[in-house]
Amino acid sequence: MYRKQVRRRRAVLALLIVGSFALLTVTYGQGSNGIQRGVSTIFSPVQSVADRALKPARDLVNWFDETFDAKGRNARLHSELEKARRQAVGEQAAVAENAQLRKLLGLDESGAIPSGYTRVTGRVIARSPTVWFADVMIDVGSGDGVSVGDPVVNGDGLVGQVAAVTGGSAQVTLIADHSSAVSAKIVPGGVEGVLKPSVGDPGDLILDFLDSEKLVGKGQSVVTSGWRAQGIESGYPPNLPIGEVTEAPLVEQEAQQQVHVKPFADLRDLDLVQVLTGGSRR
Amino acid sequence: MILTPNILVRLVAIVIVGVILQLSFFSQVALFHVSPDVLPALVVVLGLFGGTLTGAVCGFSVGLLLDCLLIAPLGGGSLVLLATGYLAGLFRERFEIHSPLVPPLLCMGLTLFAELGFGAVELTLGIHAPVSPLVLRDMLLKSIFAFFLGWAIYALLRRVLRPALVDEPAVRRRSRPRMMGA
Repeated sequence: MYRKQVRRRRAVLALLIVGSFALLTVTYGQGSNGIQRGVSTIFSPVQSVADRALKPARDLVNWFDETFDAKGRNARLHSELEKARRQAVGEQAAVAENAQLRKLLGLDESGAIPSGYTRVTGRVIARSPTVWFADVMIDVGSGDGVSVGDPVVNGDGLVGQVAAVTGGSAQVTLIADHSSAVSAKIVPGGVEGVLKPSVGDPGDLILDFLDSEKLVGKGQSVVTSGWRAQGIESGYPPNLPIGEVTEAPLVEQEAQQQVHVKPFADLRDLDLVQVLTGGSRR
Repeated sequence: MILTPNILVRLVAIVIVGVILQLSFFSQVALFHVSPDVLPALVVVLGLFGGTLTGAVCGFSVGLLLDCLLIAPLGGGSLVLLATGYLAGLFRERFEIHSPLVPPLLCMGLTLFAELGFGAVELTLGIHAPVSPLVLRDMLLKSIFAFFLGWAIYALLRRVLRPALVDEPAVRRRSRPRMMGA
């Protein structure tokens, strides 16, 4: 009797392990599948309600965290700082653009968020619990016009890109996710590189593959480069603010051709975001 | 654990509520810049109450639901959490739980195991970016949070699953000692 129980237990365990590997093999590298879309459709309303209901409790806990960390900031000063920063980045991007426009004819001037994009506002309803994935779920999906590849921003700057959609929700891969890579440039100056995350530290991004002959300074802003060449183009429109250079040691620039960037958006604490749908990429 | 239909319904509810609370609350709060991960602790407690089979099945279900809701590749979370639940169940079947500190300590240790497991699965599948040393801090703090969360979860689930627990001591009415001649 006991041996039979042990055999059954081992069989179930083996089945679960084989099932896990099979699921991993079948679904890895794909977007959403039917099961996920179904489950997500069922649970999205529940998550949305839970998200709203738990917001006061979340805010309370986060308030403690910010107090512990001496991060309690004055709301008025903070909003003024954000406004000034956006303005400064916008101006720097515009200056860089003007310089480029003198060289490259035929390009239209564009603002921080180019025209032609429709903004769809969504709320973060879930977040990946492990440090290895930097994904969030938002409560807008294909029913709202959101599609895979759309850039996602918040009031501070670029947040990520839509990786998968269901009818009423979408998965956003943040720029701090290990799979993310954003073509970016430094303004003023226009030095271009690829912005990659440092897994486990969403406050530190690495702008890699820089031209080692053009030196970059601490405090310079980083925006999306939004390149386009021979029929292919970046997934992000140009001049979306991303962050500012926090560390740019000369040795690291010359040897590894990289600098460290702190994103403007607080990727640990996202609430309302905007998905930029449509645009020239279509 | 005696599995009746009523207890199965409770287990399913525990799994669903646990995953939704994790995604909608715990993952979105931060203490010392780290979000607590309640799911390994939940699976550990279920394994401690139900044994290897219950722990493994609950771990698999929690992982699968989590991956479905996050639209992540299926199977990774299930594999790690089923191993976590199985190990917790194995502990329960091999050793007696003498001290109230054992469940939270197990939650702490097995949460660290689960976080390392998530990392191992990710590294196996391929990480295309440098890994910050802060990952270690994240794992350690998550484990410490799991110690306290495990305490609360153990007490809560013990109440919820009380009818199914085999070794739950009966509530005894204490009789007052009688004085001779009184």
